[in-house]
Amino acid sequence: MDRGLFTSNLFQIMKPNFIQKVTNWGNYPVVEKEMKSEDAIEKIKDFVRNNNEIIARGNGRCYGDASLSEHIFSTKRLNKFISFDRLNGVIECESGVLLSDILEVIVPQGYFLFVTPGTKFISVGGAIASDVHGKNHHTEGCFSECLVEFSLLNENSEVITCSRTENAGKFWATVGGMGLTGIIISAKFKLKNIDTAYIRQESIRAENLDEIFRLFDESESWTYNVAWIDCLQTGKNTGRSILMRGEHAFKHELPKKLQEKPLRLKKKNIPTVPFYFPGFLLNSTTVKLFNFFYFNKQKRKEIKNYVDYETFFYPLDIINDWNKIYGKGGFIQYQMVIPKENAKAGMKKILETIAKSGNGSFLAVLKLFGKQNAEAYNSFPIEGYTLALDFKVNSKLTKLVEQLDAIVEEYGGRIYLTKDSMSRSSLTGYLKNVQNPKFVSLQSKRIINNI
Amino acid sequence: MIVLGSNSEIAQAFVEKILEAGGKYSTIYLFTSNKETTEKFARHIDVKFLQQTQVIELDLLKETDYTTFDEISSDLLFCATGYLGEGTEESLYDDKNTARIIDINYAKLIPVLNFFAEKMERQRSGTMIVLSSVAGERGRQSNFIYGSAKAGLSAYLSGLRNYLYSRKVHVLTVKPGFMDTKMTEGLPLNPRLTASPRQAAEVIYTAYRKQKNTAYVLPVWGVIMMVIRNIPEFIFKKLKL
Repeated sequence: MDRGLFTSNLFQIMKPNFIQKVTNWGNYPVVEKEMKSEDAIEKIKDFVRNNNEIIARGNGRCYGDASLSEHIFSTKRLNKFISFDRLNGVIECESGVLLSDILEVIVPQGYFLFVTPGTKFISVGGAIASDVHGKNHHTEGCFSECLVEFSLLNENSEVITCSRTENAGKFWATVGGMGLTGIIISAKFKLKNIDTAYIRQESIRAENLDEIFRLFDESESWTYNVAWIDCLQTGKNTGRSILMRGEHAFKHELPKKLQEKPLRLKKKNIPTVPFYFPGFLLNSTTVKLFNFFYFNKQKRKEIKNYVDYETFFYPLDIINDWNKIYGKGGFIQYQMVIPKENAKAGMKKILETIAKSGNGSFLAVLKLFGKQNAEAYNSFPIEGYTLALDFKVNSKLTKLVEQLDAIVEEYGGRIYLTKDSMSRSSLTGYLKNVQNPKFVSLQSKRIINNI
Repeated sequence: MIVLGSNSEIAQAFVEKILEAGGKYSTIYLFTSNKETTEKFARHIDVKFLQQTQVIELDLLKETDYTTFDEISSDLLFCATGYLGEGTEESLYDDKNTARIIDINYAKLIPVLNFFAEKMERQRSGTMIVLSSVAGERGRQSNFIYGSAKAGLSAYLSGLRNYLYSRKVHVLTVKPGFMDTKMTEGLPLNPRLTASPRQAAEVIYTAYRKQKNTAYVLPVWGVIMMVIRNIPEFIFKKLKL
């Protein structure tokens, strides 16, 4: 045993120093900033009083430079439940509580989240700041639809309650406002009733873009729909995808063996990616291979089955630390939305550009959004098609993003700030009523500087 | 179940762990020096587990009337009371800091532990889980006031374990190494040796189920401390640990 290792690394001089390496889910960029976390409201107020350029941070499942700043407030210690009205399905909790914690409590009671994104490991504060959307945006909108009220610590270090009837201006500026209006302390929101923890799912193969667009139109009445799309296909195969649509399953329609404990799921052993994969492992060849197998494993045109909510809503959460697959260099997520009228032409151009670059991802998701809620003016979704994909960080990336940005701008679309790391300001500068020297993120500074 | 130092993240993680594992208690008594903060935890436990709790004020630095606790009894006591204080370099000659460290970690804590130990002795059953620290195994230059108080606590607990053995009460001494909690926030701790409150709860729960005498969190600290304990004094006194 090397005592030298112990004495030097083990016991450094023990003085508190809050500057640490912080990064989001894409591991890009990595910054060294001050980050503190408190649970006592007086201490949080002090933090706000004593600093400028503050941003709150939940579980860091966003990408790029969102929720990063000179002074980061981590809500990880604001992790308590406050109340759960089991009769009416309304839950109240602190902003650092994760959707995964909430599901553990509400599902056995016959409730589910109205709106959930593709991972359950986000905080409630993050869900509000991003006004997250899910597979049911076209039927049930964004997270704000079920949001009743939240308490916000503003630039004057006051805690104010915000709802549709109280401080409504602040309410709508904060929803989708990326934390630029203050620190969300707690929130109350409505839940939906479910009969079982299962989803009746249909998976349909689409051979090209025309077909998947048609399928989305046909699937309008389904509560949930989303498509996985192979973004490396060219020519007549462009837009080859698999549509997945679903409805919450009722007890009587479940297969017999699932009917016994309809609200309980078996505990699964979740594998963890143990280390950062070497960068070369993820390249256009391996991605093409993955896409080939993924698309072709569904041999039949249509598959109907029952899956548990984890499999339907959170396929990626099955693997802990999946972001390590992209290696230490990290990756970015690129998610845009293009208005419906010209979406097909726009998407075709985007897919062709990506396929040509060879910098593709195997986790590309396509969805048709419903109409925007005009009140939630800072929210990302507008009526149109949204495509979300990962790009490994490499030398060709900046050029690719510029090319894609140009297409998105040409077709009148915009970029999702929760994913954005380098897009042009004309596509990312759409937030209103969030100018505030107290609450600033590296992302908001970058966007303003580029205008 | 009785919890001393209910605002400790380790105590809270342990309470959640034991409830998740199916522990059934008519009431969990949450003793705390800060009622308001603990009430938040009490509400949290109520929402998550529909568990009844009672929040009771207990400030070790104030006079305590133990008769108010006469009605309280349980088969399990978890004590996470502690205070790290200023590091020795900052305030070796700050008598207030010194007194506070010694009182909260040892001098004023012992009478409380005695009180509940006696109840369990009369019951002829029960387990006491008390958090001490690796810092109590050998005083080192950066926190020896804290270390000496914990050393006293560890000796008390091992004696108590001995005394209560024939009286059918078990005492488990938990010795955390590096922890990621409010007490250590901002300190540059080696992440591979630092445990989260959740991890600590898992280790302590397993040790509790197995009725162990001592539990290091993380277990590797047992090995580390064996090395530290055996460094000859003429070398140790020169180290900057």
